[in-house]
Amino acid sequence: MNLNFSDEQNLLRDSVSRFCTSDYDFETRMKSVNSDSGFSKEHWKLFADLGWLAVPFDEELGGLGGDVLDLSILFEEFGKSIVVEPYLANVVLAGGVLKRSGFDKKDEYLSSIVSGEKQFSLANYEPEKGYNLENIETVLDDKGLLNGSKSTVLNAPNADYFIVFSKKGGDFCFSLVSKDAAGLTLKSYKTYDGFMSGELTFENCKPEVIIQEKDALNNLEEVMKDAIVCISAEAVGAMEKCYRLTIEYTQQREQFGSPLSKFQALQHRMVDMFMETEYTKSFLLKVLATEDRDEKTKLIYGLKNQISKSGKLVGEEAVQLHGGMGVTEEMSVGHYLKRLMVIANIFGSADFYLQKYINS
Amino acid sequence: MDLNFSKEDLDFQSEVREFLDKEYPKHIKEKMDNGDDLTRDEIVEWHKVVAKKGWMGHSWPVEHGGTGWDATKKYIYLRELAMEGCPMFIPFGLQMVAPVIWTFGSQKQKDYFLPRILNFDDWWCQGYSEPGSGSDLASLKCKAEKDGDEYVINGQKTWTTLGQHADWIFVLVRTDDSGKKQEGITFILVDMKTPGVSVKPIITIDGDHEVNEVWFDNVRVPAENVVGEPGQGWTYAKFLLFHERTSIAGAPQLRRGLRGLVKRAEKIFHNDSPLSEDPFFKSKVAQIELDLSALEMTELRGLAAEREGKGPGAESSLLKIKGTELQQRLTSLALEAAGHEALPFGGPYGFKDQEVSSSKAAQLTAAKYLNFRKVTIYGGTNEIQKNIIAKAVLGL
Repeated sequence: MNLNFSDEQNLLRDSVSRFCTSDYDFETRMKSVNSDSGFSKEHWKLFADLGWLAVPFDEELGGLGGDVLDLSILFEEFGKSIVVEPYLANVVLAGGVLKRSGFDKKDEYLSSIVSGEKQFSLANYEPEKGYNLENIETVLDDKGLLNGSKSTVLNAPNADYFIVFSKKGGDFCFSLVSKDAAGLTLKSYKTYDGFMSGELTFENCKPEVIIQEKDALNNLEEVMKDAIVCISAEAVGAMEKCYRLTIEYTQQREQFGSPLSKFQALQHRMVDMFMETEYTKSFLLKVLATEDRDEKTKLIYGLKNQISKSGKLVGEEAVQLHGGMGVTEEMSVGHYLKRLMVIANIFGSADFYLQKYINS
Repeated sequence: MDLNFSKEDLDFQSEVREFLDKEYPKHIKEKMDNGDDLTRDEIVEWHKVVAKKGWMGHSWPVEHGGTGWDATKKYIYLRELAMEGCPMFIPFGLQMVAPVIWTFGSQKQKDYFLPRILNFDDWWCQGYSEPGSGSDLASLKCKAEKDGDEYVINGQKTWTTLGQHADWIFVLVRTDDSGKKQEGITFILVDMKTPGVSVKPIITIDGDHEVNEVWFDNVRVPAENVVGEPGQGWTYAKFLLFHERTSIAGAPQLRRGLRGLVKRAEKIFHNDSPLSEDPFFKSKVAQIELDLSALEMTELRGLAAEREGKGPGAESSLLKIKGTELQQRLTSLALEAAGHEALPFGGPYGFKDQEVSSSKAAQLTAAKYLNFRKVTIYGGTNEIQKNIIAKAVLGL
């Protein structure tokens, strides 16, 4: 048993951590959030230059050949600064599907993710269809035309290409749709934690190419498991930042002639936040260290349940202990809560995954 | 002990329903049911409708124009309004400053302000908290100096709810800093139009502009606007806070909110069956329902005690804690239920003109969840309420 990270992994953590602490303060983040694209193109270029966009991809693509463990290192650091750049959408979701597909030109598209030249979105969920991945209606018909609609398409307003999950014949498939395709309509919005997202409608829309026709659902399931681990790691980072911000704030905020941090009732609350964070980090590491595929899958469902509860608890406590200031837009702590609540409920709630855990 | 309504109570319930049926303005009802924000004029209009009926003073003594209802009637009345989804009464005049004025104010103040409050001619707001004085309210620094028959106020208040709409503000000011911090605080009424008063918005995490900073720059106020004795403001401030806390438990609103959520859940699918049939969801709903029953009964007990002249005491802290915790559980469950459909956000960022397919009710759950983080903080944080119970009720 080895609970240590490799030298490469430590280097990656240091490099991401350095960027987040020195170049990604809260004001910088909010500038990105409030911009039209919802992220900073300079940061994105930097991510590409530093090789971060290549982490999970093959070495021929300039990648590190990394897996979800490497991604989780990066996401935990991102979580501490609630980085809003569309890493999840491009690299983990769209890139993850491409990587696992048998598509013969996938390297060409993956290269454009790695270089940061092109933006991608994965479109699999549908309006009011819930979280079961196979519960979709969008169809790629015999004439090769897509019809249907997609929601929660993260990064959609920025995407050059959409990777669309649909039915085809009696099976599922992935196809690649250009943003300029005829018959495609995009509705853009920002999510309440400041990320870009959108809805797509396809009316006899012709994809550029079919990426995968066999085992597409299986591919999607694997990708979503990676995504859950990534946002869980992000949540752990955000939770850590939450209790640290709270300690800092209560140490400097004085009421009744003494710093708030001196009140025992509040100290215990911060201890609970700390314990919850460490406990969740342990769960995450347990998932990462598990090799048996079925066992790992079950634990990932459990992780999503755990992260939804603990992220909510720590985020809410952080806001509460900041008092009135905690609910203001100008303070960062409320934005951590927003991100943690989105993580808690995206791709399925705590209850949804508890049910999956029980049934698997 | 009888928990059943008498014939008279039931008749009264019908009367309230009939009133709402006929007089609750349709355009306001539509907006409320839709979750749309009301304009200032619409909020005033609603209050005037109630005032015209003579039902504004539901918790006021008869001699000041109150209804003189017993606890049951008041309970029925407030519940019917809440279940119909009527706008909440703006409490700052009606439930907060009015009891202070009729208990401690001068005859002139009573004669001038009380009828205007009852008729909603003036919109009141609250000048209590300061950036450095929240939980420790008595440490407040906003200063008022006597100059002839005027006070000159300098300083800043914060978290002033709907101050942007207000005509008047009641302010706690420091008129003396030589003694203990609780001494030397004065309760004074200030016309918001007085030169030197300025209001600055605070945007909260739900993207809303509900609270404000209120600044006082050499604001000259007639000394006759002091309520009660100068320097005794802390006593009045605490008296007011007890009144504030009983009015924020919100049991009927919770009842309505829960009912709405359960109904929506019939059409929400997280997996293959409706959420309303999901055992985990049902268990959460049931637990909220059970707590709500206890909260309602606690509220009723409070109303009964008040009716017997015991007035709201430290027990109001219990209502405040339990009520606000439930409000947060409900808004959090609603957000969870809405799931992905809650993600599109109007707020400060959103693409407001874009129509996305998720329903407005679902989209509002995020804003509401975020907005309701304040309830365990305002009116004295729940931590402070626990201190009050420990000290004043348990004698610790």
